[in-house]
Amino acid sequence: MTDPFVETRNLTKTFYEESRGEVRAVDSVDLTCRSGEILGLLGANGAGKTTTLRMLSTVLRPTSGEAWVMGHEVRKDPERVRENLGFYSASTALYPKITARETLRFFAQVNRFPRERIEARIEELIDRFGIGDFANSRVEKLSSGMKQKVSIARTVAHDPPVLIFDEPTVALDVLNAIELRQIIGRLRDEGKAILFSTHIMSEAEQLCDRIAIIHQGRILAVGTLDELRKSTGHHYLEEIFVHFARVRDPSEAEVESLRRDRP
Amino acid sequence: MRLTVPIRAVFGLEIRTLLRDPRTLLISVVLPIVLIPAILIAGDWIESREARATEALSFRVAVEGDRVDLARALLLRVGDETPPGAGRDPTSRFQFVDLEEPGEALADARIDVVLHAMDYGTWMRGVEDGSVDPGPGGPPGEFDGAPRLQILFHSDRTSSREGAQALRRHLLDIREVRRDSILLAAGFPVPTDEVLVVESVNVAPPEAMEGAQLGRFLTLILLGLMTLGGSAIATDTLAGEKERGTLNTLLTSAARRQEIITGKLLAIMAVAFAIALIQILNLWLFLGLGIVDVGGALAVRIPPEAALLLLVLYLPAVALVSGVLLLTSAYARSYKEAQLYLTPVLLALVLPAAVPMLPGISLQSAILLVPIANLGVAVRDLLMGDIHIPSVMTAWAVTALAATWVTRRCVLAIQDENLLLGDRSQEEHTGGEGLFRKQVLVWVLVLWGVKILWDFNIPVQDLRWASLLGVGLVFGLFPLVVIRRFRLEPRRALALRMPHPGVWAGVLLGVPAGILTVLGVFQLVDTVVPVPTEMMESLGQALTPEAIPVWQLLIFVALVPGITEELTFRGVVLYGLRRRFGPVALALVVGLIFGIFHFSLFRIPTTATLGVILTAVTLLTGSILPAMVWHTLNNAAAVLASRDMLPGIDSEWLAEGVGWGWSVSGLVALGVAFAVIWRFRTPYPEVGPPRVG
Repeated sequence: MTDPFVETRNLTKTFYEESRGEVRAVDSVDLTCRSGEILGLLGANGAGKTTTLRMLSTVLRPTSGEAWVMGHEVRKDPERVRENLGFYSASTALYPKITARETLRFFAQVNRFPRERIEARIEELIDRFGIGDFANSRVEKLSSGMKQKVSIARTVAHDPPVLIFDEPTVALDVLNAIELRQIIGRLRDEGKAILFSTHIMSEAEQLCDRIAIIHQGRILAVGTLDELRKSTGHHYLEEIFVHFARVRDPSEAEVESLRRDRP
Repeated sequence: MRLTVPIRAVFGLEIRTLLRDPRTLLISVVLPIVLIPAILIAGDWIESREARATEALSFRVAVEGDRVDLARALLLRVGDETPPGAGRDPTSRFQFVDLEEPGEALADARIDVVLHAMDYGTWMRGVEDGSVDPGPGGPPGEFDGAPRLQILFHSDRTSSREGAQALRRHLLDIREVRRDSILLAAGFPVPTDEVLVVESVNVAPPEAMEGAQLGRFLTLILLGLMTLGGSAIATDTLAGEKERGTLNTLLTSAARRQEIITGKLLAIMAVAFAIALIQILNLWLFLGLGIVDVGGALAVRIPPEAALLLLVLYLPAVALVSGVLLLTSAYARSYKEAQLYLTPVLLALVLPAAVPMLPGISLQSAILLVPIANLGVAVRDLLMGDIHIPSVMTAWAVTALAATWVTRRCVLAIQDENLLLGDRSQEEHTGGEGLFRKQVLVWVLVLWGVKILWDFNIPVQDLRWASLLGVGLVFGLFPLVVIRRFRLEPRRALALRMPHPGVWAGVLLGVPAGILTVLGVFQLVDTVVPVPTEMMESLGQALTPEAIPVWQLLIFVALVPGITEELTFRGVVLYGLRRRFGPVALALVVGLIFGIFHFSLFRIPTTATLGVILTAVTLLTGSILPAMVWHTLNNAAAVLASRDMLPGIDSEWLAEGVGWGWSVSGLVALGVAFAVIWRFRTPYPEVGPPRVG
């Protein structure tokens, strides 16, 4: 089997918050994601999904642990890591004053896409994501659906092997969300390794090849939907999620005693 | 440095965004271009109008006294004996009015000037009974027996002031002619070889004069324009991007942080440069077409190769200015916050650019180490034809180094997680202490503004009132307002705790040691930027005027500031900032803030030093009380020293600088004092950024 495109080992991030003191937003997370695979990060708001993905995209520095993207470690070689990934989230906005075409050119350039192939790549993207009608309009004049297309196109502008979608559907209407999921599915079929975070169970069920359940900064379980069903005895992802979250929640002591009681 | 593709992409994006935003373009480019000539034209128009008005003014003069006849004869005779040098008949500018009570008419502005002509005897009697002002010469002098002509006027009215001046010049001219003619008429032999003729002739070549004049202002004008131009794009770039969410997108791209900053910096520099260039062309055009005449200074001819040299010289200054603007933007969490920071930043940038205007500043002094200021002085010298290559190169290198450092800070700032993820802002809704910690700098800024407006607009002559209102009220009220607004707990916010008794020994030793240290700092400043002596004297008079008894000075100059300034600076300001910095940086920052509230440029370093000491004491003892006592004793010592009331200490000795030996001993003693305080320390709680595991 080939090496995974994305791998984390003991990835940990600690924040300090005024009210709560030291908070482990991400606690010893181990993940892998391979080519042609969508790994879903499923968790409630504040579970640590965004923090994990931000560490992978090198915007945040891990407090401890390691993470690799295409064999490049996030702290040692952040530029190479970012060259190999495209990051999309509801909070990654577009520059309003430039046109769709200029947006794609800009992101191809800053991501060091080979210069001689940039123009051809732009045409390809415009064609593929159906941007042709508004390629020369300024982004500020576009509808939210059009903006979404441009946003995805700019995410893959430099044709990176790894894609990160951080709660991409959160601000979208139903049709746009469906379209986005279809696009993500096609990108997987092309061999991209995709990390996809969501708090919507049905979305994870439909789209993801494997699901990592993340709760209070920890990965509670990882596996295909079938594996998760087998291990918990529940059918629906919602029940599976609650099952793991319950085991985790009661108290550390209780969990410890459960562990010790096991033969 | 190689211009990589990402750098060029970021640069292009910034310029494109600017050019496509009509509002930014209007405010940052079009407006200044139109505004400056408009100001020049308006200024020119007002000036010429005023000149014409004064020229055309005729003055109403009333003559009184027992020698009215003499006065009139003098003034009337001039018609046929115009004194040398007078262009037109000056008597036509005086219109004589006959009045019963000229004094009252003068007070009511019915006339401009009263000419009081008296015999010597009348004048003497008048001086003795107090009805006549003895004049600046005072009673009996070299002209005993001569009749006196006194010109009475009101200096608050332009017409009266100008009238008195014109009349005086006129009478002096007449007196000279009259004396000469009397001498001649008396057949007095005047040997010409014993007559001294004094004339002053300016032999400086016109280029040097114009160069000097231009050189003094050029840096200020250019940097001012560039800062204004660059600030619009700078605030929009990082702070605006954080607000819009595009920074997040950009930071997940493969561009290096250094490349992003470089691209943005170049864009700001380009805009700043372009605007300055347009302005210069603009001025040249207006001057060339003769639409505005602002004198020769700006019309000085600069050959192209010199202009190129100037460009190269200014390059690091432009980079530094742009870098500081970018850094401001990087530290702001939103566009609004960036705009708020901008005014003080602009001020701080323009200040060093004004240094070449100060008299007596040479590049071969410590000013060489002050970025921007050193280049300003270098350019001034260059335009005067005085070139010292090693100094100029050092100046260039120092400013370039500062620019590099600032750029580096920008790179770090866009890697700072706390600055990037400014989205956790629950405090904004819940209020309280957390909110105060966020807003404390804004509040300090507002207080600073209030204090400036107060000090420069409300003239309080009496020191006692100035102290009570300008210091006591302002700095006493501020903590109260803050505590009320943010519902702070007063004892914690003001650090009202009892320190360990042993601390007081340290304070008693520390006060004199601190004074010597601060005097040392003053000497240090003096070697960098020589402090004008007049300024020192006027400051001394302003702070310890002779007319006020010592016990009152001790209250108003020592006790009032000692308590209220501490409540503000070592009280709420320190409390609000305590989480942002570690203890050392905190002492420096609070000290500096304390310094900038003493607006005189020369007082900032010394008061900031005292501020650092006082903050350090508060941080070590966790209590405001030692700082209050220290501050009060410090000021009290200064008051007593100025009155020569400290045993064995001469105020002259202090004023002239105590010398390095004493300052260093002071510093050592200060160290000992702090060692004592350290020994009995009860540190200020919760200082420094929360630790991340």
